[in-house]
Amino acid sequence: MSDARKSSGPVLWVTLLLGLLGVGASYALAGAERFWANWILWFVYLLTISLGALFIVALEHLVGARWSVVLRRVPERLSTMLLMLVPVALVALGAVLVIYPGARPEAAQNKILAGKAFWLSFPFFSSRTVLFLVLWLIGLAVLVRGSLKQDESKDPAFNVRARRFAPLFMAFFAFGVTMVAFDWISGLEPEWYSDIFGVYLFAGSFLSGLAATALAIVYLQRRGRLQGVKRDHLYNVGGFMFAFTVFWSYIAFAQYMLMWYGDMPEEIFWYQERIQGPWLALVGLIVLLNFIIPFFALIPRDVKGDTGRLRWVAGLMLAGHLLDLYWLIFPSLGKGVLLSWPELSFALFFGSAALLWVRRAMEVGQDMPVGDPFLQEGLEFRL
Amino acid sequence: MKADAALQRELPEVLRTPELTVGPVTPGSLDDQVLKFPAQKPPRAWYIGFAISASVMTLGLSLIGYTIFTGIGVWGNNSPVFWAFDIINFVFWVGIGHAGTLISAILFLFRKRWRNAIARFAEAMTIFAVMCAGIFPLIHVGRPWLAFWLFPYPNQRALWTNFRSPLLWDVFAVSTYFSVSAMFWFLGLVPDIASMRDRTKNKILKPIYTVLSLGWRGAASHWQHYEKAYLLLAGLATGLVLSVHSVVSFDFAVSLVPGWHMTIFPPYFVTGAIFAGFAMVVIVLVVVREVMDLKNLITDYHLEVMNKVILGMSCLMGYSYFMEGFTAWYSMNEYLHSSFMNLITGTYAWAGWLTISCNVLIPQILWFKKARTSYFWMLLVAMAVTVGMWFERFCIIVISLHKDYLPSSWHLYKPTLVDLGILLGSFGLFFTLVMLFARVLPVIATTEVKAILPGGQPTHQGGGHE
Amino acid sequence: MSEKAFAVLGLFDDADALMAAIPKVREKVSSPVEAYTPYAIHGIEEALGLRRSPLAGMVMVMGFIGAVTALFFQWWMSAVDYPIITGGKAPFSWQAFVPIMFEVTVLFATFTAGLGMLLLLNKLPYFGHPVLHSKAIEGITRDKFALSVEASEGAVDVETARAALLSAGASSVEALPLPATGPSLTAQFILRSILGVVVACGISGLAMYWAIKLFPVLPPMVHMEDQPRLDPQRADDFFRDGHGMQQPVEGTVARGYLPLGVASQDEAAVLVNPLPRTAEVLEKGRAGYTNHCVVCHGPLGNGVPTLTKAYNAKPANLVSQQFRDYPDGKIYWAIVKGKNAMPSYAYDLSEEERWAVVHYVRALQRAQSALPGDLAGAAAGAASGAATKEGGAR
Repeated sequence: MSDARKSSGPVLWVTLLLGLLGVGASYALAGAERFWANWILWFVYLLTISLGALFIVALEHLVGARWSVVLRRVPERLSTMLLMLVPVALVALGAVLVIYPGARPEAAQNKILAGKAFWLSFPFFSSRTVLFLVLWLIGLAVLVRGSLKQDESKDPAFNVRARRFAPLFMAFFAFGVTMVAFDWISGLEPEWYSDIFGVYLFAGSFLSGLAATALAIVYLQRRGRLQGVKRDHLYNVGGFMFAFTVFWSYIAFAQYMLMWYGDMPEEIFWYQERIQGPWLALVGLIVLLNFIIPFFALIPRDVKGDTGRLRWVAGLMLAGHLLDLYWLIFPSLGKGVLLSWPELSFALFFGSAALLWVRRAMEVGQDMPVGDPFLQEGLEFRL
Repeated sequence: MKADAALQRELPEVLRTPELTVGPVTPGSLDDQVLKFPAQKPPRAWYIGFAISASVMTLGLSLIGYTIFTGIGVWGNNSPVFWAFDIINFVFWVGIGHAGTLISAILFLFRKRWRNAIARFAEAMTIFAVMCAGIFPLIHVGRPWLAFWLFPYPNQRALWTNFRSPLLWDVFAVSTYFSVSAMFWFLGLVPDIASMRDRTKNKILKPIYTVLSLGWRGAASHWQHYEKAYLLLAGLATGLVLSVHSVVSFDFAVSLVPGWHMTIFPPYFVTGAIFAGFAMVVIVLVVVREVMDLKNLITDYHLEVMNKVILGMSCLMGYSYFMEGFTAWYSMNEYLHSSFMNLITGTYAWAGWLTISCNVLIPQILWFKKARTSYFWMLLVAMAVTVGMWFERFCIIVISLHKDYLPSSWHLYKPTLVDLGILLGSFGLFFTLVMLFARVLPVIATTEVKAILPGGQPTHQGGGHE
Repeated sequence: MSEKAFAVLGLFDDADALMAAIPKVREKVSSPVEAYTPYAIHGIEEALGLRRSPLAGMVMVMGFIGAVTALFFQWWMSAVDYPIITGGKAPFSWQAFVPIMFEVTVLFATFTAGLGMLLLLNKLPYFGHPVLHSKAIEGITRDKFALSVEASEGAVDVETARAALLSAGASSVEALPLPATGPSLTAQFILRSILGVVVACGISGLAMYWAIKLFPVLPPMVHMEDQPRLDPQRADDFFRDGHGMQQPVEGTVARGYLPLGVASQDEAAVLVNPLPRTAEVLEKGRAGYTNHCVVCHGPLGNGVPTLTKAYNAKPANLVSQQFRDYPDGKIYWAIVKGKNAMPSYAYDLSEEERWAVVHYVRALQRAQSALPGDLAGAAAGAASGAATKEGGAR
């Protein structure tokens, strides 16, 4: 255990406790709606990061990528955060009857919601969430636990199994992320719909997974670990971050532009809520952090392989993703930009919990999948 | 460099690193095998193929002439189906072009070496497909000779074009796509034409090749800038693949026609384009590798990987169709709902079900390795996909238009023989161009394949590639 | 006297041999060393000491210029020069300008990459380089690798170069003679480019001129002008008399000219004025009367015309008792059919306008036949009350 790790542990436990106190206080003092909005925000944020990481793992198996074997253990460890999110999800279900209009009794009176009230109702909503949690955990078991076991067994049969399972996981992932987008996020305003919303959340999720992976790699390398990952590998990671920044921006713009162009009242109200007054400044910040900075910062060839600059870009991208989710969720409350001690408490609580979990996860198994038959090829990869 | 032979033998077959060439291939033998075609008389199969496609093309071109001379009334387009075969064909052909750019540009960025043997042909197909596509917006207007009005040039009418219209974005997108693809393709050809220049003794061909190769001499200082340009062009072309078909999808998605105003259209169209394009690439490459005896370069592995891409895209299409159906219900919008029900139960429901079967159900057979490596199955799937993707555009355009908001305007659509003839003619044009290309230019980028042959790169630089 | 050459080439059989030879040759000769290969070799730029390619920076700058250009032009054309609102969108709809901005960015960047690489950085096309005319070129584009000791200025000493190449493992060596002196490569290239541009512009200019001149008058471009329809005042053999335009069929009724259904002015007395007597109708009547009737019947309606001598006619005094006694229908008949010297005004006044004029004539008549009770004043008010009742009966 390095000294750095020894010192950061207690700090995180303190912030965790402080955050927990604030979280509890906000339930009592700040109102149930605000409490639940924060809970949902952090639930979805950490969920999209973990799922993004698991998607990276599954993708590597699906395409049989060899260069990335050296760093596959990192997203595998990040994805274990899904286990921490199970209780978070179950608590989050408490929000359904409070801030999700489709599940509330008033829905029966609403012309648009009445027809789909059964879909939006608590039993169906929660069963969907539970179902996908189970499917994702199955994915975790096959892909991550199998990989960890391979460290000892060195049996290539795992690669075959993972390769065959990966497409199935992609189905769990695709429909799961779509479910999260439609139920947990756009379900806050169930009269609105956008069929690209699942793709939009996927783009953000993949990017967050990549950014978190990049940050974790830099974290490990600064502690003298994971020396097998060279500039060449990081160049590819940076390249993916660049490419999917462009993809995310394209999806975000396409959805906005199409709704702006049609200008239909039943669609445009959702955007109008999100560009009024102070929200517009937040939009500018989101564009800056999610598009402008990563795009221009990742173009030069040097940066993509440079750990110093890469971690700044990755960090900003993760912050940008959080702000994006905040912008998606909070305007639905109709209470303006809420940024005060409740939000900070939640940030402290969940941020510390996530960091503590990830720190612990970084000790699980070997730093590289030493049992993988293609590790050597991955180590030898040069651009 | 690559995983060592002993390890390869131990691994289960599905994990082994595939060989990208079969049998002994050296740079010299590669040149001899590929570059002999432009220099010799083509086999009889080529003459037959050329004759057939050229006749079909001529039929199509004459029908286009007839349409321009007489008017759009000779087509089946009528109120309310104002867009029909014309726009279906346009979207269809632009889509087919996208596979070429993906293979050529995106796979280059991913450093997938298997792309090198098929990139040249794929890029050529892109250019020919875009040429076929470009015909349709031109001829579907009432006065095609005024098509230059689409460009914003200063004029006596003091008018500018309407930049807010996606039809104009199309003009810029497709013309940019064509120029970029043509430049990318030509630049790739320059070193290969230099090889042809130095091999040929023919007094007419040598000066032609000399001029076309621009005096390329393979200088390392030139290669440096060349490779940089190629990388940059690959990156730019990748952006184009996303944007061009998205702009085409905007033609529909910005409107308010029920079933068209769906935000998923941009990525859905791009996916469909790659899907249809790969199917066409598979069909053409199967024929090429057999007729030109290139099975050692365009190997079973190449075909298998392409089939896997087709399978993946088919699953993504399934997701898109599911989202369309789900949203049609979830929106609780009676028009969207009715439009979707019309798709699966209306007069043209047969087209809707044909689309879903050909695009989502039939390709699922590619889960089986036997299907991925058997000509019969892969060609069956590829042709089903080609038909299915054409019909998908038919469903989107005709079905949504023939029954939209105002019941008094509802009307059936019937194509005329001229419509069908022009569609066939576009296939004729495409295959004629393909045949000409195969006759005159190297179908495999010999330079690029030489660079990935075993022993081709200096060993002490280290590193296997993916 | 040592032999001089433009370059000395050494051939190698594979990439490894070439890469191994490069440092050995570089340390033995003072001239720059170039390599000629059938494909790009990884790592060769560093080995040869080549400077990094500036292409990426050039492309980024031009791409940015493309984006700004596209935005500027779309803004200026849509919001400044001729702002039109289409689809309810504001003139500066930046959201709608993004796709074209993107495409133009890619276009500028691509042409910079392609043409910049060829023309600027590699100075191609160029057909005069001695390597192209060497024996080695056939191998170079096929499967051989060449190392070349080349001088950018002056010439290369053949012996030194040959010795260096052979000792580094070249399988064969070739010396390329100096090219004939003439204008420098750059000058030739510039001249050729200018000539190319002039020729291209000339040909395309001529082509466009003839296209614009000739094209529009050829079918099918003229089909919309030459349509198969009957044009006014043109002959046509569809009808027996050869006229394109025909008279209406016997008994055709023009709109607004329905038959009155009465045969004489006396019978016209049965016609009833369909218009109410409102201020609006009277205004209309005044307008019609002023435009058509004043010239003969005078502004007061008393038959004192404003054109006395011109017509030598005696217009009726419309405010006289005779005409005060006329029913509305008879006045209407006179307008439609004319009376004596008065022509028909049926084509000057529509049916509605005619009845409005009748109302106005009645107003004139009333104005010219005042009753004692019409005077202003309280006493007159009571009398006028009675009088209006009488007048209203008229």
